[in-house]
Amino acid sequence: MDERLAKALEFSNYRSTIENQKRNLRSRVDSLQTITYNNGSFKSNRETISFVSTLIDLGNDEIVIVDERDNPIEINDPKDFLTTLVEAYMASMNEFLAESKKLAKARSIKKIMDW
Amino acid sequence: MSNNGVCFFAYNNKDIDYVKLALLSALYVKKFMKNNNTCLITEQGDFEYLCKSRGEELVDKAFDEVVITSVQHKHNMRLHFDSPWSKFTSEFKNSNKHLINEYSPFDKTLLLDIDYFVRNDGLDYLFDSDANVAMYQQARNLKHEDPFLYERYLNPVGIPMWWSTVVYFDKSEISNMFFDIWAHVSENYDFYKFLYNFPGALFRTDYCVSIAVHLMNGMKPGDIIDIIQNTHMVYMDQKDDLVEVKNANDWIFLANDRETPWKDITTRNYHDSIHMMNKRSLDRNWQDLLGVLDG
Repeated sequence: MDERLAKALEFSNYRSTIENQKRNLRSRVDSLQTITYNNGSFKSNRETISFVSTLIDLGNDEIVIVDERDNPIEINDPKDFLTTLVEAYMASMNEFLAESKKLAKARSIKKIMDW
Repeated sequence: MSNNGVCFFAYNNKDIDYVKLALLSALYVKKFMKNNNTCLITEQGDFEYLCKSRGEELVDKAFDEVVITSVQHKHNMRLHFDSPWSKFTSEFKNSNKHLINEYSPFDKTLLLDIDYFVRNDGLDYLFDSDANVAMYQQARNLKHEDPFLYERYLNPVGIPMWWSTVVYFDKSEISNMFFDIWAHVSENYDFYKFLYNFPGALFRTDYCVSIAVHLMNGMKPGDIIDIIQNTHMVYMDQKDDLVEVKNANDWIFLANDRETPWKDITTRNYHDSIHMMNKRSLDRNWQDLLGVLDG
């Protein structure tokens, strides 16, 4: 095979592999951000954290939030809920950053797989 | 000891050593889950073979309870692949799966297929939830693609398919009703096959549970059954292969391309619990998968 074509195909395989690894990582971040609290399922994302934080700032001691399954969930301790959300968010972001850096440095399939 | 636990059905045939795979899957539950009491449901001969071939010490480590059944299974041949280039058919003994609520020694039970490998504690929340029954309703392969149409819907304009790979249930009236309907569909499978227009000669419990969910929801979309973690199940297709086990939650696969089956890409998966459909691949890697559990 022409050397240039062989290189192009190798690069194409590398791109397919790295794109899939990025999808794996996003999926992992998504599952790290999903928490269960009082039988509700919540996403620890910027929107939820900001919303809960605003409700606390406005002096609400008890709140009701619609979860990912569209069910109303009663939260009796909003501060504890916010802490849980922030912890999940931070854990997911730390892993996202660390793994993204590893992927950015990996310039071949062998590097991605640690071979 | 809480009365929560995880059950596995395993009946060997001449091609696949299901009890050997169940042993491994149970050890992953022990490693990663907090609610990790386990129960093997099998036949006397298969259990004796397991103890003899793997040693009683390892069997005792994997299973807290063993339920011996004596069931005449319906003839049910299943086509298996091991990569796109190798296939075989073998007997699949699954006609008593709906009896799990009678067999289970636990108050709250997670029923796992023996090829479902837990690699995180994400399923533990179910035991603290108020769900009566929970399953996965969607799945994605190792390349994050949806399954083929007939593993998403029972027919092109049909009801959604639910996966019976992972079934959580308690001992409530709702869950008893669910298993009663599953039993009824199972006993009248040909009728329901005609009514719901689903394909194939294989008896699939996925179709039974899908119809049970549909009936329990009043034949409309509904939420009587919980979706596990409100997300999808990850699966390794039968045409994919496991090529390296780095540690208990870092595995490298060859993910096959459906449209161009001569092409695979490598994919490295961390932490996801995975439905490992290629049984031969599991068998090839059994020793490695066992070995990394001590690390």
